[in-house]
Amino acid sequence: MKKNRGRDIGKRAQEEMVGFALIVIFVAIILLFLVVFYLRGQDREGIESYEINSFIQSFLHYNTDCGDYFGGIEVRKLMFRCNNRMPCLDGRDSCGVLEETLEDLLLESWPFGPDRPIKGYELEIIANGEEMLALQEGNQTNNFRGSIQDFTIAPDSIEVSFRAYYGD
Amino acid sequence: MVRKMKNKKAQMKIQQMAFMLIAVTLFFVFAGLFFAMIVFSDIRKAAEGLEERNALLLVSKLANSPEFACGNAFGSFKTSCIDADKAMALKNNIELYKDLKGNFWGVDGIEIKKIYPTDYAEIECDSGNYPECGKITIFQKQGIGVSNFVALCRKEGSGGFIEDKCELARIMVYYGGDNN
Repeated sequence: MKKNRGRDIGKRAQEEMVGFALIVIFVAIILLFLVVFYLRGQDREGIESYEINSFIQSFLHYNTDCGDYFGGIEVRKLMFRCNNRMPCLDGRDSCGVLEETLEDLLLESWPFGPDRPIKGYELEIIANGEEMLALQEGNQTNNFRGSIQDFTIAPDSIEVSFRAYYGD
Repeated sequence: MVRKMKNKKAQMKIQQMAFMLIAVTLFFVFAGLFFAMIVFSDIRKAAEGLEERNALLLVSKLANSPEFACGNAFGSFKTSCIDADKAMALKNNIELYKDLKGNFWGVDGIEIKKIYPTDYAEIECDSGNYPECGKITIFQKQGIGVSNFVALCRKEGSGGFIEDKCELARIMVYYGGDNN
């Protein structure tokens, strides 16, 4: 009789311990899910950067060596010229000049590499909803900053977006 | 005897419950601390972001001040644009300007450095070599430096025409020099 009672108490204690462990595991799984969702949401957002905003504004004013009758035209105007397939005054392809200029400009402005804080970058130009130019160098990380600017010379509208990827 | 046994059993139960309550409380405290750590790390990140943003705003405010800004001189109105000719005039007369206005901007150094094109990037500008140079130091730098991108524009004469020429540069502002 006594033995049976002892067994019962032992069983009950075991059951309670198992119950407690189950509750701990259940709550831990819920917490884990919450943390994962929270962190994933953050990764997708990125950070709007004031510096990148200034960078886009500044390079849009840069005078390229693609000329019209008034001298070298700005990157901003060169984008519209490229979109309308209009060549430079010297006959060169405006899209080629745009790509070459932006490649060099980005390399000098955003030096990247494994031993630098910036690991890579990505520039995308979209004209009337279609991709006009995309330049990407280095590695893409989850820690990025970026900015988007759009402007219009009727009937064309252009959207420029730039992202700089930093080390984790 | 039976009563004593019952009391002991009740005590055991109370102890068990107390241990359980302590364990559950500790578990939730640790879980809370874990969450708080994540949230506070975000707050720190946000604070760093704000600090950076404020520094960049100071730089932009300076770049858009009448002493530097392009205004409407280069076609349309441009923001984040510095008139290089104005900056050179200011550099050449900075002592006179300081006498009149003191440390007007409240900073310890202003420097404009050309980024692209890279020709003459390391050459300090003076009235003899301008515009074939890459650095305009308005006043000597000391303290912590913050910088931001700007378009550096000037008027250039070629073939009887005057054309606008804008290049990519960084304006660097130094502050807190007295503390060092």
